[in-house]
Amino acid sequence: MSDKDTCTYKEGPLPSCAPLAVPMLAAQQRSEPAYESVDALTKGTLFPGLDLPFMDYVASGPVEASPLTELMALDFVCQELALYLDTHPGDAEAFKKWKSFKALAKEGRKRYVEMCGPVTRGETAMFDSWVWPEDPWPWNGRKAGKK
Amino acid sequence: MFVYEKKLQYPVHIKNPNPAMAKYIISQYGGPDGELSASLRYLSQRYSMPYPELKAVLTDIGVEELGHLEIVGTVVHQLTRNMTVEQVEKQGFQDYFVDHTAGVYAQAAAGFPYSAAAFQVKGDVIADLAEDMGAEQKARVTYDNILRMCDDPDVIDVMRFLREREVVHFQRFGEAMGIATGKMDKRNVYAVNPSFDKMK
Repeated sequence: MSDKDTCTYKEGPLPSCAPLAVPMLAAQQRSEPAYESVDALTKGTLFPGLDLPFMDYVASGPVEASPLTELMALDFVCQELALYLDTHPGDAEAFKKWKSFKALAKEGRKRYVEMCGPVTRGETAMFDSWVWPEDPWPWNGRKAGKK
Repeated sequence: MFVYEKKLQYPVHIKNPNPAMAKYIISQYGGPDGELSASLRYLSQRYSMPYPELKAVLTDIGVEELGHLEIVGTVVHQLTRNMTVEQVEKQGFQDYFVDHTAGVYAQAAAGFPYSAAAFQVKGDVIADLAEDMGAEQKARVTYDNILRMCDDPDVIDVMRFLREREVVHFQRFGEAMGIATGKMDKRNVYAVNPSFDKMK
């Protein structure tokens, strides 16, 4: 596609002549530019080109830093790249980036579980007793339970 | 197969009870354009999708929507968990309270229970993907409308995040549509339904 380099990151190429009655939406061209992971989680997208808020409803600041939000941010970047890869399976650069974030998230997960408890039931195997039911559960929010 | 992760996709910490707000936000839990509708729609449409990329898109977005269902349930829970009967009465929450107390029930803002009648599985590639794009837009508008009415920054922050996810999913479904029609007969994409008619 020769149009590729003429479109900005907020645009994608479409054919100059296209068939009638066929729905078409400009495809995102590449996985760059991208926000840093905590910014991505805060904004709800990894991609500045898709960051399209309603009125002036933008985040007042980054999500509050904690071991949990750090993990959420890495998992979120992996999710965003995975959805991008589903419709761009041939993008080797994005796949490489997804793999490197997946490695970071795995590391982060291990540290988090050791500190705060299992995230999946299977991770309870790292503990000496059945700690899986312990509070807080995700809907409890900030309170109770040992951190 | 599903594996549960004991964490939310986005943090929710609501300090003040507000049943009036819970009463309309519940629509994104069990209402017509809510997260339950979204996940059931995509996870059910998968079976008749012939193309691998589309199976992946429907699965991955459908699963994320289940995560959003949990976020909306958490918001409703935290808005109602410490409410007083006085707040219930003053904020017009009696109708819900009498049936569900401070439980989270899948219903629309207008009170009708969750219904699969709000979505379709047509078993046709273009029809299903066109519905999915429409569904993301309808959910986006629902969040826009919620944002117009919210005055609690703890809630606004979460609604804003969920709304942005609808924009991203719309983009992915649009790209999925391009992948699908790209595999069909260029002269007439409506000549057959690749979900049903055997090709080659």
